[in-house]
This record gives sequence, structure tokens and C-alpha cells, in this order.
Amino acid sequence: MTTGRPDGGSARDRGRVRVHVRVRDWLERHALGLIALLTAVVLGVMLYLPVGVVFAEAVFVDGRLSLAHFREVLTDPFYVGVLSQVFTDPLAIGSHLAALGGWILAGFPSFPLGLFGFTAYQAALSTVASLALGLPAAYVLANYEFRGRRTIRSLTILPFVLPGIMVAVGFYAMFGQAGTLNAILGVVGLGPYPFIERNPLAIVIVAHAFYNAPLVARITVAAWESVDVRALETARSLGASPRRAFVDVVVPQLLPAVTTGALLTFIFTFMTFPIVLALGGLQLATVEVWVYARIQRLAFAEAATLAILETIVSLALTYAYLRYESAQAGMSRAAAPPPRERLFPDLRTALEPWRLAIVGYGVLTLVVFVGPMVSMVIGGFTDGGGFTLRHYEFLIRRQTEGASYQTLPWPAIRNSLLFGVATLFVAMPMGVVISVVTTRSGREGGHHSGRWATIIDTLAMVPLAVSGIVFGIGLLRGLVFGIPLIGGWRLQITGVVAIVAAHAVAAYPFVTRNVSPLLADLDPALVESARSLGASRYRALLDVELPLVASGIVAGAAFTFAISIGEFSSTVILASGGETYTMPVAVERYLGRRNGPAIAMGTVLLAITGLSFVVVDRVGGRFERD
Amino acid sequence: MNRRTLIRTLSGGTAGIALAGCLTQDDDENGNGNGNDTGNGEENGTDGENDTGNGEENETDGDDETTEPNLEGTLRIATYTSMVDGEEAAGTWLKDAFEEEYPDAEIDWTVPESGVNHYIQQANQGVDIDADLFFGLNVDDLVLVDGRADESLFRSVDRDALEHVDRIRDDPAVEFDDPDDRVLPYDTGYISLVYDENEVDDPETFDALTEEEYEGTLITQNAQQSDPGQAFLLWTIDAYGEDGYLDYWEELLDNDVRIIDDWSSAYSAYENEERPMVVSYSTDQVYTNRFDGDMSRSQIGFLEEQGYANPEGMAVFEDSEQVDLANAFVDFVLSNEAQAEIAVRNVQFPAVADEHVDLDESYAEYAHEPPEAVSLTYDQLSGNLDGWLDDWGQLVASR
Repeated sequence: MTTGRPDGGSARDRGRVRVHVRVRDWLERHALGLIALLTAVVLGVMLYLPVGVVFAEAVFVDGRLSLAHFREVLTDPFYVGVLSQVFTDPLAIGSHLAALGGWILAGFPSFPLGLFGFTAYQAALSTVASLALGLPAAYVLANYEFRGRRTIRSLTILPFVLPGIMVAVGFYAMFGQAGTLNAILGVVGLGPYPFIERNPLAIVIVAHAFYNAPLVARITVAAWESVDVRALETARSLGASPRRAFVDVVVPQLLPAVTTGALLTFIFTFMTFPIVLALGGLQLATVEVWVYARIQRLAFAEAATLAILETIVSLALTYAYLRYESAQAGMSRAAAPPPRERLFPDLRTALEPWRLAIVGYGVLTLVVFVGPMVSMVIGGFTDGGGFTLRHYEFLIRRQTEGASYQTLPWPAIRNSLLFGVATLFVAMPMGVVISVVTTRSGREGGHHSGRWATIIDTLAMVPLAVSGIVFGIGLLRGLVFGIPLIGGWRLQITGVVAIVAAHAVAAYPFVTRNVSPLLADLDPALVESARSLGASRYRALLDVELPLVASGIVAGAAFTFAISIGEFSSTVILASGGETYTMPVAVERYLGRRNGPAIAMGTVLLAITGLSFVVVDRVGGRFERD
Repeated sequence: MNRRTLIRTLSGGTAGIALAGCLTQDDDENGNGNGNDTGNGEENGTDGENDTGNGEENETDGDDETTEPNLEGTLRIATYTSMVDGEEAAGTWLKDAFEEEYPDAEIDWTVPESGVNHYIQQANQGVDIDADLFFGLNVDDLVLVDGRADESLFRSVDRDALEHVDRIRDDPAVEFDDPDDRVLPYDTGYISLVYDENEVDDPETFDALTEEEYEGTLITQNAQQSDPGQAFLLWTIDAYGEDGYLDYWEELLDNDVRIIDDWSSAYSAYENEERPMVVSYSTDQVYTNRFDGDMSRSQIGFLEEQGYANPEGMAVFEDSEQVDLANAFVDFVLSNEAQAEIAVRNVQFPAVADEHVDLDESYAEYAHEPPEAVSLTYDQLSGNLDGWLDDWGQLVASR
């Protein structure tokens, strides 16, 4: 590299510098295109190909295209409930309407939902619960100042990284009849209450909220911190009440983020798998449970059929949402978030009903979020005889005496962190570039290109809309076993690069979904003026737009890191036989006939992740205005 | 060139930095690289006898005994996680002891995420099977293999090559009843109830579980994905027959049985006193003792004085080029010392008759065996298991 002498040197050197500059200019002009191209390649190889390998099983019967599998599922009342009649005889509209009329006349009696219907039903309830628990957190975190606010905001992401089995263990340890909550109630002479037994569906929904309310909160906080409140001040000066001004000015700016959180929650819980069975039992089976059962019996065609139908539901919702989002593009020039009030400035204010309600909410979050995690951690320090360090001694012994082919704690920690950081470098550009492509073409083009942008944006959500189990099988059959090429060659992709790419594929939609709404909200004149002053599109993005949507970028980065740390199903397949296992994989492998060792590893996972988030948020926070 | 070594070097990621993608060519000759790629030119046709056919020229032992089994190189053994990663993993002992006895041999444990399904898929995709022996096979795995794999995955046991094979006890608890004789058991365990004697009495019969006294007391596991859960389902099929088991389960469901995903969550629910009974293993007290637990909450209930036996077996892959070494390992596993170690470390019961294993007397104090062992045979499961699981799953999930 000739990073020249200050005076420019000889003519030859100057020539070299000129070439250098020209290359750099070219790169800069085409940077977005190149990143988009790379993104497409990564998605093609790491997502569409593996998923396609499995999905193909559903639509080919004996090598010929056929919808027979779909017909079978859609006409089976077990899967689709009453709708099976509609699918069996779609043209008998008259009789369907008559049936509908009869149902209304009979006073809306309950009807068989089928597996898909129940799955959607519990997902809808879970979404409502996640909003109910997540939005107050966003409100408090965005509007009040108190000690530890930043740390709490950092830690909201923790539930996201916990393996499903640890959440189940934590929930039983917290809400079980011999659990922490009943122990506390016992002190004041209450209980024990069978919280889980009495209503398993309710506890499953709370567990879904445990995972997803933080997601809602985090996305909404990011939007709140980008709100432009100058309009609020104008509205107030024109005599609007605080409530009126809030509803007219702040709510519209938050709505895209709230809806995004709701959408993601619905999709996640629609595809829920381990948690619903671990806490609710098979009576509450969802579609994904059946996908898994089919995969285990190697019935790929049936599994793929169910998985495709799941994906169609998720993508249809996404599409509908994105049409709505693209209609919401605003004209905000800069973020001017509301100033944060002190939460408890003095004793008198602290006793106001509103503040007391906040305290009450705080207690609720302690029970729902902190409770299960702390109860799980306590489980790692106890055995039948009370307090013990033996589970941690196990970890230390395994680290110091374990054989190379065993799963050791330190490599798991190291790999998790390395993959997490590497995933940031891959997923962030991927997510941002998709945001830019879709919001820009949606804005610049006419009606049709807007629709195309929405379709691309919808397809970008495929990683979240595809069954994780199917994705894993696709990776195994596609990339680990190798894709047959001509001449007997096989393309195999495993190991570190494959894991990081798979994590990036799983994570970039979070970047896109956090950044897109904010980006779409920016006044296009900002970029246009930068461009007219000679800045490349890439420069304009880097210097003008991204700083204005920093809160979305930081939120996206936090999710990316969390997704990578918590990812299990594809990691375990790509790491099989190597030393590329991560912390969640280690947790799973330490599960034995007593849970102690796995819980100890789960606690390490929590501690390391919590620590990194505090650090990452502090570092990331430098790019945010406080 | 040893293809597999190359792949491993390229993609294994030993130090965290590794190249991921790689191109490999499936040529017909060096399918299974274990450093010995000359030996057998013509791959197995239909010959059953000639499985010591490699290593003719290139041995350096001078003795020129061409029939001498080849006992050097790497033996790739596929197994499940706890065999390698458990607290007192049997796998580590087996590797060390076997390598001590066969100094030129090395065991390479591999733990595929999807168990035997991994190899069924490899076979069906035309990919080389990357293991020599599967360690940890149940009867239902074998049924799945035969129902799904396009070609034979495992080879028949070469009984003449095994010194200890006759020690295996003659007992339904360890039998695989495989018509092709491919699997040998190495240990077995029993599914039973574990209950809290402070809360309930031993129900003793299946019928009792449907009575009011036991309403809302039992936790079991999802038979579609959990070994003990499936064993419990099969046990009810053994008790009530193919035509009666769903009716029995209707009654169980009416009596509010809870069917939780997997063993760990189910046991976690039991530990937190959600319910006083859980389907588990008859060796539960071994763990209760080890972890200073409360024995009154670790009582073993053998319904109908039975336990459902789940023998664990081992089988050599058809395409393995280390058949001699694999046989040596199988024989070693059935030896006196190994049988005792495996039983204690896996907390299971030996596969060989009592006189061929020196199990510590105290072991029987906490590891209980049922008066009678029941299990469905290969023939009973074959062709039926999928349907049973489906019908059962639909019954439960549509309630």
C-alpha cells in the first residue's frame, strides 16, 4: 500500500495516487450496489437454497409438480378446523354463507379452530400481551430519567438470548407450586397457588411476552428517541391539551414502530416451538410442533407443506403491514425527542397516582421478567441438599480436565462472542442496504415501483417467516452434506463462515425493520441537497441519513448481537463435529438427568450476554445523543 | 489424497479461523478416507464373508498373516450427546480404555444433532456416511432406518468375530429381535413412574391412573419426540393393544394427564411440585442420591409390576472400512470391565448376564429393576409406529 508521502512525491507516485483515488471513487460510487450484490449472494446461498431444498419436497410428488400435499392439509379439519369445508368445496359459496349465517344466528358458538387456527389464536393473544407489557416499558425508558436507565435498557434484550429449555426451567422455578413466587407469597401466609396448572395457555402467553415484550419495548424506545417533538410544542402553544398533543403528534410517529413490534411478535409466536410444549403441553400444540414431529419421522413432504403454509401466513401479514408502513412516510428533518423527566424528583411527586402506577408496573416486570431469570440462576446454585457450587465446579472441571472432543465452556464463550461480533459486521450492512433500496425505490418510483419495493421488503423478511426447523434441515441437506454439482463435485459450506452467515441471515431483518421506518420518515430533501453538492449516494447515506437514524441502527445492532448469541438450531447443525459450538449449544449438551450443569452454563450465558450488552450499549451510546 | 482430512482441515475451525466453503469430488474410490486408500478395490458386492479384505499388501508387520484383522487407524463412532458430554460420560472412559488396549487405534466420537436420522439422510442423498459405528440405537430407530433408508444402512453382526457375543443375556429387556441381526445391545433401562410418596400412593395399575384418586397427578412426555414419552405410549399399547390404547388415552386425558415436550421440562415441572408423578427412569434414585435429593420424592412405580425396557444397541455401518476395528470395539464393549463401567456411568443396566459383569452390590440399592420387563419387538413396531404416533398425537392435540 502506498499511502503517499505528504508532498505527493514523484510523478509516478502521483499517478499511483490518482489511480488509487479513482479506485476509491469507483468503489464509493458503487458501494451500495456491491453490498446489495453481496447481500443477494449470501441470501441465495444461505437462505433461499437450503429452504428451497426442503420446500421442493412439498410441491414435487414423484418428480412432478403437484399440489396434492396442500390439498390434503387444507381439507383436513385437524389442521384448518371449519375452514376445511371451504377448501374441500371452494365453489359452494352459497352453503358456506348459509353456514356462516347459521353460526351468527346461533350466537357465535365456539367452533373447531384446527391446528392453524389455534396457532394464530395463541399468537394473537401473545401479541396483545407483549404490547401490554412492552409499551409501558418503552414509555418509561423514553420519558423518564432514573439511575440505571441505560443499563436497564441494555438488559431488556436478555430474554432474547435464553434457550427455550432454560426459559421453561426458569418459569417452573418461578411459577411452580414450589417456586419462588409461591415461596414469597408463603412468607405473607398466602398460597401456594398452582399458577401454571390452573391455566397452561395463560402461562404460555406470559412466556411469549417474556420473549417478545422486550422486543416491542426496544423497537418503540428507538422510535421514541427519534421523535420530533417540536410539533408537539407548536400544538401545545396553539392550546392543545397535553393528551391531545400526544395523540396527534407523538402517537403517529410511534405507530410504525409499535406495529413493527406487534408484527414481529405475531410472526415469532405463530412459529413458536419449544416453549409452548415445555410449559403448555401437547394439548396446546402449534403448527411448528407438527413440523418438528414430521421432520423427526423424516416425512419431509408433509413437514414442508405445513412450513410453507406457515410462511405464507407470515409473509402475507408482513406484506399488509409494509403497505401500511410505506403510506406513512413523513417529513421529519431531525430527531428532537422529548426531554426526560426525573422519575422520582422528590417524595411528594413519587406518591402521585401516575408514579405509583409506574412503580406497580415495575413490580409486574420484576415478576414476569426478572423472576424467571433469577429463579433459574438460583437453580444453578442449589441441589437436593441446598446451596452448592458443584454445578460450577463441573464447568471448571470440564474446562480444565475435559477432552478435546468434549464441549468445553471457554471455547463456547469465545465462539459466541466472536460470532456475535462477526455477525454485526455482516448483518448491519445487509440490513441497512435493504432498507435503503426499499425505502428509496418506494419513494422515488411511481405506484408500481412502490409495490415492487414492498415485495422486496417482504421477501427480506423471509428469515423470520420460515420455520427454523425447516431452515436447519435445509442447511444440513444443502450445505453440510453438500450441493451436488456437475462432474460429481459437491459444494459444502460449514464451519465458522457458514455459522456467521447463518446468524447474519437470521439477524438482518431486525436491522431493516428498525431502520426502515426511521429512514422513510426522513425528508428526502436532505439527501437530495447532499447529492447536489456532489456527495455519492453512499456518502449521503453515511454522513447524512445514518446519523439521523442512529437510534434505529443501535437497536438493530443490539438485536443482531442477541440473535447471534442466542441462535441454536442452525448453529448446532453447522457446528456438528467441529469446535465451533456456542454457549446455547453447550447448555443443550450439558443437559442430563438433573438440570444443574446446564443451568450453570445458562447462567454463564446470561452473565456474558448481559455484560456485553452493557458494554455495547455504552459504546454504541456514544453515537447517540443522550 | 485423503479427502476427509482435507475437508476437516479446511472447515473444521480448530483455532477459530477457518475457511468455510469447499469443493469436494465424489469419486468412486476413496469414499471413506481413513488413511488406507489402497486396500479394497472392488467395493462390497454381495459377499458377506469377505469383510477383512483390505490391508493385503501394505502391511508392514512382516508376519505376512493376511487374515490378521486390521486393528489400526481411526474408528468414527456416532452417538448421542450425553455419552460424550455427560458428567461421568461413558464415552471418555471407553475411548481411553479401548485405545490403551489397541494402541494403534483411535476413537473419534461424533455427535450428529439428529441422531440416526443424520445417516438415513446421508444415505438417501448419496453422501458418504461419515461414521463407522452407531452407538446408542433403540429398536424404534432401527424401525425408522428400515422404513426410510433407500438402502441398507447397517451390516449384520459377524458373530464369529466376536468373543463376548454369547454373554448377552437372554431377556426381552435387551433383545432387538432384528430379522437381519444388525444390532447388539450394550445396556438397557426401564421406563417407570417416579412419584412423591408424601402426596400419592403407588398407583400400581394402568387402570388406577384413570381413577379419580389420580386425577391431575401425572406428567408424561410427548411421544413424538421424547424417548421416555414414546416408551410410555408403547407400554400402553402393550397393555391395551392396538385397538384399545386410544380409548385408554381418552380416559387418561379426561383424568387430566399433562403431556410436556421433553424429559427435562417434564422433570423440571415435577421438581417444582407441579404434580406428584412423572414418567421417568427406574434409576431415578441414583441421581437423587448423587444430588442429595429427597428419596421420598423419588419413589419408583412399576405399573402392573412391569417396566418398559429401552435397550441401547450398537451397529456397524454397511460402508465402513474399519469393520475389524469396529468389531474389536463391539467385543470390548461387551467385556466384563466395560459392561460395569457403562452401566454405572450411563446409570443403566448391563446387557450381559450377571456372571459376566462385576457390578458393585451397592448399585442395586438405588437402581431398580422391574419384576417383569416388557417391550414391543421390531416386528410389532415395524410398519405400525408411524401410525400409532400420528393417531395418538392427533387425539391429544385436538382436545
